[in-house]
Amino acid sequence: MSESRELLALRSVSKSYGQVPVLHGVDLSIRDGEFLAVLGPSGSGKTTVLRLIGGLESVSSGAIYLDGRDISAVPINRRPFNTVFQDYALFPHMSVAANVGYGLSVRGRPKAEIGKKVAEALDLVQLGAFANRQPAQLSGGQRQRVALARALICEPRLVLLDEPLAALDLMLRRQMQEFLKSIQREIRTTFLFVTHDQEEAIALGDRICVMEGGYIRQIGTPHTLYYRPNCPFVARFFGDNNLVPGTLGAVDGDLRAIDTALGRLVCSTGGDTALMQAPEGTAAFAAFRPEALRPAVEDDVNRFSGTLSEISFHGAATIAHVATTPGDVRLRLRLASQVEGIALGEGETLALGFSPAQSHLVLA
Amino acid sequence: MRPSLTPRGLLLAGLAFALPVVLIVVPLAIFVVYSFFSVDHGTMVYTPTLANYGRFFTDPVFIPVLVTTCILCVSVAVICVVVGYPVAYFLASLRGRWRYTLLLLMLVPLLMSYVIKIYAIRSILGQNGFLNAALMTLGIIDKPSSLFVFNLNAVLLALTLLLIPFAILPIFLSLERIPGNLLQASYDLGATGTQTFLRVTLPLSLPGVASAASFVFVLAIGDFLTPQMVGGTSSFTFSRIIYSQFGAAFNWPFGAALSIVLAIVVILAILVGERFGQQEAAR
Repeated sequence: MSESRELLALRSVSKSYGQVPVLHGVDLSIRDGEFLAVLGPSGSGKTTVLRLIGGLESVSSGAIYLDGRDISAVPINRRPFNTVFQDYALFPHMSVAANVGYGLSVRGRPKAEIGKKVAEALDLVQLGAFANRQPAQLSGGQRQRVALARALICEPRLVLLDEPLAALDLMLRRQMQEFLKSIQREIRTTFLFVTHDQEEAIALGDRICVMEGGYIRQIGTPHTLYYRPNCPFVARFFGDNNLVPGTLGAVDGDLRAIDTALGRLVCSTGGDTALMQAPEGTAAFAAFRPEALRPAVEDDVNRFSGTLSEISFHGAATIAHVATTPGDVRLRLRLASQVEGIALGEGETLALGFSPAQSHLVLA
Repeated sequence: MRPSLTPRGLLLAGLAFALPVVLIVVPLAIFVVYSFFSVDHGTMVYTPTLANYGRFFTDPVFIPVLVTTCILCVSVAVICVVVGYPVAYFLASLRGRWRYTLLLLMLVPLLMSYVIKIYAIRSILGQNGFLNAALMTLGIIDKPSSLFVFNLNAVLLALTLLLIPFAILPIFLSLERIPGNLLQASYDLGATGTQTFLRVTLPLSLPGVASAASFVFVLAIGDFLTPQMVGGTSSFTFSRIIYSQFGAAFNWPFGAALSIVLAIVVILAILVGERFGQQEAAR
């Protein structure tokens, strides 16, 4: 994705409810036309970010800028953003068409224009035939699409989506993910999508902003977050991961040694200056994905032996727990499944290893 | 699974049905039956006749009084709803414990004796009452007004005062049930506060308004005590006529027939309110 200009920016935004702080000086930049997923567990402040941008809440300190202009004091109904609420918040006493046309109607647009735009918006979400239904007569997925059409019709600069897929079942959720992505590509509007589901964030986000405890932990492409997490939280939260604690040793190019219970390991720093410049002896983690772990090969620098247990079949992958010697560290091992079944058995001990390039250091 | 009916269970179920039947349905049925009898010089004549209903429709007194009473009670219902709505809206907009504390205070009058409340209202409305005194002190009038002394205006005011809690409660409940995110969605889509109220809050609270209005109407039309005590001799309401048939004229069959007419009006009012409320709720 090419660098595009900044649409919206949060500058050291904090929010407290009474004495309870929920956001601590958050900085966030949203680029024009991107699909940004805000990912975090419940209580991380992700929904608060969305509500602050949408204007449902006001900032306690800091400011929000749209095109470089401070909009922190602009009331909700004057902000050029529209929200798709978690439970859709469709008006139960209005038809689908009246719901979708609401934003134009309250702006006093002529009837003919509203009718035309409602028809267009409903066609966009493939609900053209449902204009005269009541929301109660629609399925969850259809309501969701009505809510989306209602938000899009005002041509917002930014569409805010608050866990819009949480209430749908798995099959429908997958469909809706693709649908959202294709619509976003079609209309080229910026989407900010709040979710607690990391798979959803990966599937949808051009970039992902990971939040925890009222702080933004890391912002980056799904690939960056997966392979170059900058903190133990992201490394753990974002997909399955093995984290082995240790202390940093000597730097060798892009690699750096780390002394752990598994012995001395060599891991990639990804060129990160903080990791390169941290003094020796600094506490850190060696992080490597379960799929990076494999039976050892001849010239492995990271080598140890492990005893397998709890081997389980997950379709494409077979996952096993490993207890290492030395150190008795618990790791997870993920191998591609094969027709003839895994050649390994429960309780079997074998030499394991991983390549430095397939690993990453994370400061504790 | 269905619980199997033991003899004990059957007995309990039977009792549960028997109580309302004996205490409500049977007396009503007796009433209906009585409305087809007649009275001759103070003695009951148990020959079925439609004369009582005939008298209701032909006598020039009863239908105009019924119409006047209906207009009065519709007015009471409308005033109660119009005055009660802002109160309910205010209560529903409060957060935390104030909301229910104030609601409870609003309902305290319901715990007081009806007769005492009527006397209190009489002392406010009378020729030398509080209302006249207040209006004179404020210089709005210079001698006591008889506009609301022992007439239909007094009945209207008294009924409104007595019944307004019954309007506030259902409206409050329907306002409280409106999910907050619907209002947020409205603002989010660019609506102003007034637009949000007119297009979202008001339509969604109409079922509550409908049941409030039918509550108040039904209670007002059945009330014979209030018109009796603040209405003076001039303002005859339908319920007072019924009362006089039982209490003064000793014409039970005719009183029963008039009661049946009133019951039909009440049932219609409830059905109208119900229908309106359900229509909204089904959406």
